[in-house]
Amino acid sequence: MKRFDVRPPVLTAQIAEDMTEIWSEWRRQKLPLYLFLGLCFNLVLAPAVFAATGGEMSRSQTYWLSALGLVTIALAIYLFFVMFVPEKF
Amino acid sequence: MQTPQDSDSLQSSRSGKRDSRRHTPKANMSGLYQRAIREAFIKLDPRTEVKNPVMFVVWVGTIVTFLVTLDPNLFGTVQADPGQQRLLNGLITFILFFTLVFANFAEAVAEGRGKAQADALRSTRSDTIAHKLLPDGSIQEVSSTELQRGDQVKVVAGDMIPADGEVIKGIASVDESAITGESAPVLKQPGTDIMSSVTGGTRILSDELILKVASDPGQGFIDRMIALVEGAERVKTPNEIALTVLLTVLTLVFLIVVATVSPLANYVQAPTTIAILISLLVALIPTTIGGLLSAIGIAGMDRVAQFNVIATSGRAVEACGDISTLVLDKTGTITLGNRLADEFIPVDGHTVEEVAQIALAASVFDETPEGKSIVILAERNSANINFNTDDASGVEFTARTRMSGTDLPNGKEVRKGAVDAVKGFVRSRGGTIPVQLDAAYERVSRLGGTPLAVCQDGEIYGVIYLKDIVKAGLRERFDQLRRMGVKTIMLTGDNRITASVIAEEAGVDDFIAEATPEDKIDVIRREQAEGKLVAMTGDGTNDAPALAQANVGVAMNSGTQAAKEAANMVDLDSDPTKLIDLVTIGKQLLITRGALTTFSIANDIAKYFAIIPTIFAAAGIGSLNIMGLKSPQSAIISALIYNALIIPALIPLALKGVQFRPLTADQLLRRNILIYGVGGVIAPFIAIKIIDVLLPFS
Repeated sequence: MKRFDVRPPVLTAQIAEDMTEIWSEWRRQKLPLYLFLGLCFNLVLAPAVFAATGGEMSRSQTYWLSALGLVTIALAIYLFFVMFVPEKF
Repeated sequence: MQTPQDSDSLQSSRSGKRDSRRHTPKANMSGLYQRAIREAFIKLDPRTEVKNPVMFVVWVGTIVTFLVTLDPNLFGTVQADPGQQRLLNGLITFILFFTLVFANFAEAVAEGRGKAQADALRSTRSDTIAHKLLPDGSIQEVSSTELQRGDQVKVVAGDMIPADGEVIKGIASVDESAITGESAPVLKQPGTDIMSSVTGGTRILSDELILKVASDPGQGFIDRMIALVEGAERVKTPNEIALTVLLTVLTLVFLIVVATVSPLANYVQAPTTIAILISLLVALIPTTIGGLLSAIGIAGMDRVAQFNVIATSGRAVEACGDISTLVLDKTGTITLGNRLADEFIPVDGHTVEEVAQIALAASVFDETPEGKSIVILAERNSANINFNTDDASGVEFTARTRMSGTDLPNGKEVRKGAVDAVKGFVRSRGGTIPVQLDAAYERVSRLGGTPLAVCQDGEIYGVIYLKDIVKAGLRERFDQLRRMGVKTIMLTGDNRITASVIAEEAGVDDFIAEATPEDKIDVIRREQAEGKLVAMTGDGTNDAPALAQANVGVAMNSGTQAAKEAANMVDLDSDPTKLIDLVTIGKQLLITRGALTTFSIANDIAKYFAIIPTIFAAAGIGSLNIMGLKSPQSAIISALIYNALIIPALIPLALKGVQFRPLTADQLLRRNILIYGVGGVIAPFIAIKIIDVLLPFS
């Protein structure tokens, strides 16, 4: 039986092109990567915070609270970075 | 004895002189504030905010308070009424947002003034048609943007000068008002170190000139000025970097402190919300100086530009404030510079007419103002040129020979120059030195004038008295500099007696007589080896190494391209005395930055007393609420409103600079601590209390 490829070849090329662009942007722009990794890490951290609060807070509140903790740590790291390489700022 | 009235009038006349020297830029400042307001919002972009660590922390805080405005229970359940809590969080967000906008506005106003000046300069830099001289002597019309370094162009009356260059032929008057603001035309001629360089964008008013282009396209003087004034090449100065580190350390310490407050508050049964903690953080971190720091630096550059001086970097402006030694040329800086021949003093039985005749012959080819004045005085003494000038040849003055003159068609050599140099010349020709020469030399020197001996072959005829006048008001300015700990050294090619008389009259701390160009660089190196920062002015090609060696080198706009390239500042008015103003501006910049830093940090005390006691009132420290603020909400909002409003309130001070007073470093420190330290503690107490009374919180 003869098989037919129903997907137009142009669309495949378009997808490949888009993927390449996303990948190159991904490599170029570090901030979205760090944000993504931070949010992923927060998924691990939030249950620990939830357990520590003993159920006083909802799951979503603990998720946001641990995210705030991460933002605070990120700010502290940023300020340390400024202290060591101030000429870049 | 000087009375206080005298002192006041002196002060006002001095400030009047300084203001009159201040250049009124032709820059269009209309719409400056509207543009700055727009820029203030554009600068809220996190990529811009991240460059200012203090304000970036406020930016992150604003985002978090905005989130808790949308959902007050986002980070935990709040005890208070959610509606009220949302209103309080919204107010905090609103104030923090405007704190950021005000800080950005301060920077945008300072930048806007620079950009307006750059636009005014850009309007002078239009493409013109240049008449390029080809090697075969023909003329080719090309666009000014195509001219390369080394090309020769011809400009005639009415033409715009197409590029920076050196005059190699012709004499013409040039209108430089486009860059200097000075409407009087300037005479340009080849051969001399000064007045032979021309700037692209200026206009030739009369006659014609042949120029040699001295810069490549886009690298001209005006191009570089535009880039600098616009702030495109602005890099942080060492002091700014040090202050950034200090502010960052303070911010980090307060971030850690505030982050640990929450568990402490829970322990003492006085739980706080995230919005209040962020308010406490923003109130404690040095937002005032953090918001104004870059504006102060940009305004410093702008003040220098207003004095018609272009600085190549903020570092150079700042270095002016740290200068401990000023190396000044005598002629043109300390004295009026237009030394003119005043008298012929004959020696060895010669008559005044004979001296005039020889002096005239020796000055026929001398194109300097001194040489021309000798010719005029000689002609007034009935001297005339009694030889064919086409058959004679001129001998140019050099720093080595310290003489100039003419080789006459009959083989005789006439010379004029420094007495020692002429003595050497006469001896080399087998002549003798008349005994009256030293008496004439000493007489002129004791009057503060420059003695020039004139001779023909081995016979000395007499001495020319070149009269020099010390500029008015210099003694007071040198006294001011001395009080600030700045040492002044006068350099002159004159003899020791003349130099000491002028040095005494002007009130400089030290002088170097009979100086050669090499002495300039030596004295700078010697002072720098003692750990001092040295400033100097110069205009000639031989000044270029010293200008490059000095911590602050100010080149005159009338000087050569080499001098301008070696210096880190260019004075468009070519006034060497301005170096003293630049030191004042540099010191003013450093004082302003120090004063506002002191004020910003001193403000913390009042803000601390406004917020902490009200937050922890439940823990029994309510008695620390010494301002008697109505409620925690009112206290926090009052402190934040003060924190936001103090930034625009201080913008005029940041842009104008703290008033400069010629005091020693210790006196300045005491004065700053008293005004900005104690004032910085008291002012917010009063302001926060007034805001608290005005707020409709119960």
